[in-house]
Amino acid sequence: MSNSVISVIYRFLEEYRTKTSNKLKVVDAYLFYILLTGALQFLYCLLVGTFPFNSFLAGFISCVGAFILGVCLRIQINPDNKGDFLSISQERAFADFLLAHTVLHLVVINFIG
Amino acid sequence: GLEPGSNCVFCLVLLTVALGAQALTPSHHLSLSDVERLKGLLSQPFTDLASAYYSIVGLSKLGASVADENMPVSNETRDILLAAVSEDSTVTQIFRAVSALSSLGLPLASQEVVAALIARIAKEDNVLAITTALQTATRLSQQAELGGILEEIEDLAARLDDLGGVYLQFEEGLEATALFVTAAYTLSDHADTEPPLKEDQVIQLANSVFSKKSWDSRSEAFSVACAAAALSSNRFHVPVIVSTQGPATVSHSQPILHLLVTDILSNPLASASVLVESAQAVASKSVVLSQAPFSLRDGIFELNFMASQPASGYYQFAVVVTGDSRLVANQVELKVKVSTEVAITNMDLSVVDKDQSIGTKTSRVDYPFKAKGSFTADSHQNFAMTFQLVDVNTGVELTPHQTFVRFHNQKTGQEVVFVAEPDGKNLYKFELDTAERKSEFDSMSGTYVLHLIVGDATLENPILWNVADVVLKFLDEEAPAAIQSKTLYMPKPDIQHLFREPEKKPPTVVSNTFTALVLSPFLLLLILWFKLGANISNFSLSPSSVLFHVGHACMLGLMYVYWTHLNMFQTLKYLAIIGSLTFLAGNRMLAQKAVKRIAAEQSSRLAKYRSLR
Repeated sequence: MSNSVISVIYRFLEEYRTKTSNKLKVVDAYLFYILLTGALQFLYCLLVGTFPFNSFLAGFISCVGAFILGVCLRIQINPDNKGDFLSISQERAFADFLLAHTVLHLVVINFIG
Repeated sequence: GLEPGSNCVFCLVLLTVALGAQALTPSHHLSLSDVERLKGLLSQPFTDLASAYYSIVGLSKLGASVADENMPVSNETRDILLAAVSEDSTVTQIFRAVSALSSLGLPLASQEVVAALIARIAKEDNVLAITTALQTATRLSQQAELGGILEEIEDLAARLDDLGGVYLQFEEGLEATALFVTAAYTLSDHADTEPPLKEDQVIQLANSVFSKKSWDSRSEAFSVACAAAALSSNRFHVPVIVSTQGPATVSHSQPILHLLVTDILSNPLASASVLVESAQAVASKSVVLSQAPFSLRDGIFELNFMASQPASGYYQFAVVVTGDSRLVANQVELKVKVSTEVAITNMDLSVVDKDQSIGTKTSRVDYPFKAKGSFTADSHQNFAMTFQLVDVNTGVELTPHQTFVRFHNQKTGQEVVFVAEPDGKNLYKFELDTAERKSEFDSMSGTYVLHLIVGDATLENPILWNVADVVLKFLDEEAPAAIQSKTLYMPKPDIQHLFREPEKKPPTVVSNTFTALVLSPFLLLLILWFKLGANISNFSLSPSSVLFHVGHACMLGLMYVYWTHLNMFQTLKYLAIIGSLTFLAGNRMLAQKAVKRIAAEQSSRLAKYRSLR
């Protein structure tokens, strides 16, 4: 059983390394960074307590929001999904990404206190 | 509107309590002192015609005599007066002319006056004008066709404001209401037609007019005097006032209930006969008296209620005044109190041992004497008291509202009061368990003076009886501490305000460590990007590109400044400016990039196509 799981994971990693374009890997690295940051914030909150709660929420939501926006960007610039996003060019996706991030940052900074 | 003074509200309350009316009965009338005051105001010397008119007519209505004034009349005066009677004069002018003509005995054409009045009423549709028109009609011949004017009474009555079902008055005020009452009844008498006012309305009008007991001006006093005269002597509706002379209480010493039956001017009604329809005990609801007549003596109606031998308590009387078909509000409800005197009998004091091994020592004490020896009770004993309360006159047992047993320590000033309660056979018992009650006495042993207090609203002789001295001995006697009441009014201990404790924060080391930890993935990101080969070699130095990046950096900087200095509104303002610049530049830049990308794709596709071929 564990054998098959490990082999699946190995296979997945191989496919990822070869099949994914560099551009997508860059975005994936960014997503991984966001994930780590969010996880570390959450760990801190678990260890030390939620004071000040609004700051914790602001930071955590920022990570979550950025991750979601990053995923959206990745989906939209993936050439395999071109059929689903005919009207949205890559540049347009990036512009949307920036605009959404501006709003997210405004809200996060407002809430961070 | 009309605001009765606090005086009048008090009268209203008193009268309401005394009369306890369920049907509407007058709550205000002019007592004899009120009438005197009214006369006084009207008797003041007058210097002008209006004042003369008010005083002379007002006083004559109240029955006071007035000096006679004679005036010679010339033909011109008569012609002027007759000319005033027309559609073009105001109602007041017509009224004055008609009054002058009729007072001077000069002839006038009643039908013309009626026509002029009806025409004027249509033009001057206010309360005072119509009331004046009514008054004018009273001076006309009885043969004149007054139907049109009589209808105005009903129309005017519809304009009255009902206040709480108690008062009925014009919003123009007391004078207007009083003048209306006067005019309506004077005209009704003159035309021999009953005014279209219901009994309740008459009472409510009377309440409004007579609720004010001090008058601002002569004209107001005049209007009240006229209304009082009209309501006490017209041919149709005479409100009757029924009240007791003195408090509504009878007892053995005063067995007769006296009633004053008067009209609105406090004149006794000579031809009335007063009957008690029923007298019902409030507590037991049993009817004690029914259809009993009052006898008239010296203008006061009397009834010997004690002859029916009522038990002490409150009784509800339903009284009816008959004898005159004009009487209004002649059914009155009165609350009468029958009081009596109480006697204390069989007062037995004893000290009982708790385990009842030693026999009780009972002493009898007679009111108003004090027991000869003192009684001693310690924690093993109870002090007991039994007695009976009886009606002196009938021997019936009584249960008054207040039966208190009071212990008073003369040395410390302590006072402890208990209630003595009757058992099923109306025998009063009081028992003091020394051990159980020591907290009330603060465990202070000593001699306590015992008083018995008996009182009730229906008792004429409340009792405060020093019965005996009782020596109480408590266990674990404390040192005579200052009595509670002394410390009650001293300043209390200060309360320090506890500010909200700041939340517990983790030590700075921990938070600093985690700050570094949270920032570290950024380093990882840069490393990953480097490994992937991400670079900025494609960076074109076009102005829009530079502007875009600068603008974007400014926006991020603005976020930081927002966090530290600004509020949302300022931030949005700056964001709008920087954002629009960045957007325009970014749009340009991305468009250029898109063009380049599409060109690159096309050329690569072309190359692929060519290579395939």
